[in-house]
Amino acid sequence: MLNMQEIQNLIKLIDESSIDEFTYESNGTKVSLRKQKGELVTAQPSFSPVPQTNKVSEQTAINAEPKEVPEDDGEQTTDFDYEIVSPMVGTFYAAPTPDKDDYVQIGDTVKSDTVVCIVEAMKLFNEIESEVSGEVVEILAENGELVEYGQPLFRVKAK
Amino acid sequence: MESTRNLLIEILEKNKNNYISGEQMSKMLGISRTAVWKHMKELQKDGYEIEGISKKGYKITQFPSKVSVNTLQWGSKTKWLGKTLIHKHSTGSTQIIGHQLAVEGTPHGTVVVADVQTEGKGRFDRKWHSSNNKGIWMSIVLRPNLLPNQAPQITLLAATVIADVIKSKTGLSPNIKWPNDVLINNKKVSGILTEMQAEQDRIQYMVLGIGININQSVETLANDIKASATSLRIESTIEWNIRDLIQETLAHFEQAYDSFIDEGFSPIKSKWESYAYMIGQSVRIKTFKKETTAQLIGIKEDGALIIKNEDGSHESLYSAEIQW
Repeated sequence: MLNMQEIQNLIKLIDESSIDEFTYESNGTKVSLRKQKGELVTAQPSFSPVPQTNKVSEQTAINAEPKEVPEDDGEQTTDFDYEIVSPMVGTFYAAPTPDKDDYVQIGDTVKSDTVVCIVEAMKLFNEIESEVSGEVVEILAENGELVEYGQPLFRVKAK
Repeated sequence: MESTRNLLIEILEKNKNNYISGEQMSKMLGISRTAVWKHMKELQKDGYEIEGISKKGYKITQFPSKVSVNTLQWGSKTKWLGKTLIHKHSTGSTQIIGHQLAVEGTPHGTVVVADVQTEGKGRFDRKWHSSNNKGIWMSIVLRPNLLPNQAPQITLLAATVIADVIKSKTGLSPNIKWPNDVLINNKKVSGILTEMQAEQDRIQYMVLGIGININQSVETLANDIKASATSLRIESTIEWNIRDLIQETLAHFEQAYDSFIDEGFSPIKSKWESYAYMIGQSVRIKTFKKETTAQLIGIKEDGALIIKNEDGSHESLYSAEIQW
């Protein structure tokens, strides 16, 4: 569960980033942040965001009984330990050039210095290194896609 | 040794309109007249032409056009850029050497220059023609203490440096096409490709690759780029001294880089905008799975391109294929 300090940090990070919407869910706690008209507002998905508000309020639906772990959906949750995120806004490239193989594929083992992709902005090609060791279990971006600062690109399971 | 030669060149440069005696130089440098004479011989090997007349002294009649580590470092005006310098007559790509050196720990400001690149490359491995002694083909290794998302600004900075050098040296009027192609009369004269190795919050190194077409004629410019590219010689009808232009580019780059580190991107932004190409006009823009027509408005404080969509909304682009 996130504490107040962590939520404030999150808000600050998102405020400074180019991310417009952010959702975090863990053990029945859900935090949704969405930027509107240059301001940061929070809202639960079912509510429409309050426009003109400047105030950032915490709306975490905290279960009274923390033991009540919600049932596992059984879908999207691939087991992973790390996420490799984009250090900048730009275009995601899975391969060094269009006619070459992708840097990594699902099931590949990566080391901390393995190049996993390129993110390009203003003709600067940033080779992203894994920074962790393990197995690539999920690739979250598509070749040629625009990615945001902090957007998860790969999920890695420690070996 | 190196610094003595540099001083000697400075002295000769300052006195290029009159003769200076060997004795004067030996006093100024604190070395014997024989040593001065030996240094002169070395300079001549690298293409300096020095006239010596007895009882009058020496005078430089011609500075070298030949590119070598010596000619690039002697008379250099930089403090840190190009202090480690590698010159190859022929190589695949200066970018590859730059990467290798960077991995081996070469210092910030290392410069790699080639007379000819056999596999000069542009974006997506597109070929960059880099023919023998006809242009500047070089890479600069940088280790900026910046966050990775600030690094692209250095590529815009490099374009303003090249535009400045072209403008001040040749009097031509260059433009910069976002983000960093330099054009003269709508044709490309220079391209910049930058590759970076970075962690989330730290840049390990950047290799900034610069290509400038200098002395190609219409005939010697490769066929496939004739329609879209040009050279300083084609535009000015003058042959340019490549060695001087490299030194000038490095001196300007160092100055612009230091001011960027101290003052941020703002001065670069104004400079960039003074050269901006097609601002106010409409172009076709291709981004991921989307193609639109939009008007170019300017650049943001971080170098991103601001466009106005047909519905009137503004958008900033960090990466896009623009059909100019």
